[in-house]
Amino acid sequence: MLYIHKASCISPQNTFNNVDLSILMPSFENMLRAIEPGYEGIPPGQLRRMGKAVRLGVGAALPLLKDSPQLAGIILGTANGGMEDCIKFLNQIIDYDEGTLTPTNFVQSTTNAIASQIAFMSGNKGYNITHVHRGLSFENALQDAMMHAIEDPTKTYLLGGVDEISDYNFNIDFLLGCFKEKFTSNDALFNANTPGTIAGEGAAMFLVGGQKENSLACMHALSVLTSTDERELKESFAEFIYSNNINLEEVDVFISGENGDRRQDNFNTEIELAMPPEIGIVRYKHLTGEYPSASAFSLWLACHLAQGNTAPAHMVKKVGAKKTCRNILVYNCYQGLQHSFMHVTS
Amino acid sequence: MENTVLKEELKANIVKFLNLISVNPSDIKDDEPLFGEGLGLDSIDAIELIVLLDRVYGIKITDPKEGRKIFIDINTMVDYIEKNRTK
Repeated sequence: MLYIHKASCISPQNTFNNVDLSILMPSFENMLRAIEPGYEGIPPGQLRRMGKAVRLGVGAALPLLKDSPQLAGIILGTANGGMEDCIKFLNQIIDYDEGTLTPTNFVQSTTNAIASQIAFMSGNKGYNITHVHRGLSFENALQDAMMHAIEDPTKTYLLGGVDEISDYNFNIDFLLGCFKEKFTSNDALFNANTPGTIAGEGAAMFLVGGQKENSLACMHALSVLTSTDERELKESFAEFIYSNNINLEEVDVFISGENGDRRQDNFNTEIELAMPPEIGIVRYKHLTGEYPSASAFSLWLACHLAQGNTAPAHMVKKVGAKKTCRNILVYNCYQGLQHSFMHVTS
Repeated sequence: MENTVLKEELKANIVKFLNLISVNPSDIKDDEPLFGEGLGLDSIDAIELIVLLDRVYGIKITDPKEGRKIFIDINTMVDYIEKNRTK
């Protein structure tokens, strides 16, 4: 069991400081860019050097570290880290013929720059790791944290998922067909019935540990699958439910990672059909856009709902029979290949 | 290029290359120390300044000791650029 004690999120919506999901912030040119706060806790001298992914990660993490116990470690998931700085640096190698290169872009471009910057700023010398498994980056970080919580339940860890939109990477992914060809507003994402989705970014951070006291929610079970086969997905979901003793009749809400890509609807439908009809369904990718560690947002959302907050109408795909929201199933699918299931309770 | 024009250009380049988001180029005084108590730059900024001189003015600094004499303030940088620029 992994207990979540605090959660923080910087996203394209109002999720930082005063959380308000009722107003849907609009996408622009098939991108949902994060609303960046003022970053009061970051010294200007350091802030000016940070790439966006580092800013988002550090900015989301710092509020959690105030008045918190000493961290035993920092465990993050990011597929791309500071991709914008990485590509700037690679381009400089070519443009300047491997000559004099700027150190800042290089320092910010490594995927572990976020976790190391948080460690540096908080003076943490504990376990520090960044998982970079594309669409399962956050899930691998989560698995790592769950294993640490079993090993020593008394310790506290910072867990998080971060990714940024890089203009370079957006273009590459667009050519791969990941994003919609025509501009599609995020409020119409689920009705577009076209291939591709819209791009997103964000950072979600959690203080986690093995002790239940004062926790927001409990991460009861996690499972991942890499497959393009619907039947295999269905079997994997059934195995997840069975092996973790999850009673589907007790599940209140299903958080779906549906992203408006017509080519991936079959996976979401498969999971929805495997659940009792009275379970409510909530969607969130029109809030965040698609990015490899978007499942970190879904866990933040699960914590938010588990605290008694309700999902506004634009997020509800199907109204559930239950009023409570203490038993939550989360499914995410990245690029029709990487799947994850989470069971969260409170 | 006149000395004052070069100074203004250099200040603008320093703000741009070092991403000094809260600094206006005109706020940087000609005789204000760039490192320490003045503009407050650090060792990574020193490398960024070496890159700036290379890319903008075609000056390659290979001896770190040389940098200590050049990067004192705007005046010393401009003197060095005027004498050594290849662009």
